[in-house]
Amino acid sequence: MTTTLESVSVASANRAPRPPRRRRLGADRRRAAYLMLAPSVIHLVWWIGLPVVATFGLAFTHYDVIAGTIQWAGLDNFREIFADDIWNRSIWHTIIFTFFTVPVAMAIAVFIAVLLNQQIRARAWYRAAFFMPHITATVAIALVWMWMFEPTLGLFNLLLDRVGVNGPAWLSDPDWAMPAVILVSIWKGIGLKMLIYLAALQNIPHDLYEAADLDGASGLRRFFAITLPLLKPATFFVFIVSMIDAFQVFDQVYVLTPDGGPANSTTVMTYEIYRTAFSEFNISVACAQSLVLFAFLLVLTVIGRRLTGKDADEA
Amino acid sequence: MKPRLAPRLALHLMLGGGALVMVVPFFWMILTSLKSRADIAAYPPNLLPDEWVWSNYQAALDYAPFGTYFRNSLFIAIGHTVINLMLATMAGYALARVPFRGRTVVFMAVLAMMMIPTYTKIVPQYLIAKGMPFFGGNDYLGRGGYGWLDSWWVLIVPGALTPFAIFLFRQFYLSLPRELEEAARIDGMGEFGIFARVMTPLVKPAIATVALVTFEGSWNNFLWPLLVTTRDDLRVIQVGLAAFQLAERTEWSYLMAGSTLATVPMIVLFLFAQRYFVQGFATAGIK
Repeated sequence: MTTTLESVSVASANRAPRPPRRRRLGADRRRAAYLMLAPSVIHLVWWIGLPVVATFGLAFTHYDVIAGTIQWAGLDNFREIFADDIWNRSIWHTIIFTFFTVPVAMAIAVFIAVLLNQQIRARAWYRAAFFMPHITATVAIALVWMWMFEPTLGLFNLLLDRVGVNGPAWLSDPDWAMPAVILVSIWKGIGLKMLIYLAALQNIPHDLYEAADLDGASGLRRFFAITLPLLKPATFFVFIVSMIDAFQVFDQVYVLTPDGGPANSTTVMTYEIYRTAFSEFNISVACAQSLVLFAFLLVLTVIGRRLTGKDADEA
Repeated sequence: MKPRLAPRLALHLMLGGGALVMVVPFFWMILTSLKSRADIAAYPPNLLPDEWVWSNYQAALDYAPFGTYFRNSLFIAIGHTVINLMLATMAGYALARVPFRGRTVVFMAVLAMMMIPTYTKIVPQYLIAKGMPFFGGNDYLGRGGYGWLDSWWVLIVPGALTPFAIFLFRQFYLSLPRELEEAARIDGMGEFGIFARVMTPLVKPAIATVALVTFEGSWNNFLWPLLVTTRDDLRVIQVGLAAFQLAERTEWSYLMAGSTLATVPMIVLFLFAQRYFVQGFATAGIK
């Protein structure tokens, strides 16, 4: 839709020759357009364009933020970070975190979306309940979960106690801290995934299902033969959005498990970037770490595009 | 077609169970915020407070300046929303309705910026804020002082415009019919008048969507204010909450009272304007 409208307006812009009065008008309109664009362009160049270029540049230098000196470093920073055991572990943690909060949570989300797509009463209320965690502040919500994970008085261990299980110390137990953070993140992220799937489901034409009914296809068969293939573009979109979010998880990790968690068991790439840049003030190394994060996202986006086919562009 | 009774019941059971899991933390938060200290430590625990201690809220406000945090967050979120609406409508309109050379390039750049992850820009953003010339004791080259750090500038300016808003407005302005602006032009209206008085009133749904998404993003933002402020009177509510937790690990009722204050505005806004939220997030999603 976008492209057609665009080609129409481009075509009319190129229509020549024009009477002189229209040309004056065109110049006036262009001047107005430049004025209207200027504040935004300046802001975006200054606060996004410049920083991105700087991240790429600084990653290959030794920049001393206190002395203000800068010198070429080549790949030194990258060699340094991959020699750092904690950084390598943080990459692994990020991958585990992403696996559970993206593909696993997507499967749950598509299931809920299909259920919500039925004509039942109180649909809007169910949808609101599933979506609510997404719009509430991560910090505040992480504190609530922290309270529920409290080893002796928290809701979880009280419930486990009821059924005779001695619950773990959750956030202060190196084995359980990451699962706890993942649980919170699935809970928080499921609403957005569900919502995008729901919007896509509502666009699937109804007669497809009616035809399948005539052929006597079962519910499961209909889901795998009709629904899932038609959800491909939505799946691509959900995948990209959730992955960018998952790789950049910070707030709940920072609040639930400060300082990388017990024995650094929950430190993720973003937390290491934060630590390198803002408590060690090692700007260049932090930029190199940011580029590694960027590379992961880029590669996964390309893979996602391949897997879901080229027709996913409209997302 | 409506499912039959038995499947419908199963559906309600599954959805109801799921929905319950989603809202339990919110109820637990509010219930805890109203419990007394003895009540919280009681074993076995009570679901409902023994007595409803509404004074916890007043006590929490006295304990930490949650009132100030709340006001700061509100001020910043409203500031971001207003500035974003003003700048992004203008930019979106120019990109959609006025043909000029390089328009496609600018639009592509906006799209690319939407996809840039936060962590690919945040470190230099901090350096830019710190090196702002003539501010915070800096010289004309931005050396020597703290620049914009610990100021209202840094809390408001960098986050005030989102590429997503420009993108969304462009799509909405594109969909308006050409006849409208031509009629206005024949009436002698200038380009800015057409933008402000003819076209913008027609994109109200986009305005509502962008306003809500911007407000939500700003109200819930944590990382940036955490990095650039240290002064207590400049703290936003999310940072204030995290700091309070680090200082007072066991004051659960006050913490939950603070969390309630931090979440309730968004919940209320969401319940009233669900439609626009749904529209915004189904198309946006990217941070």
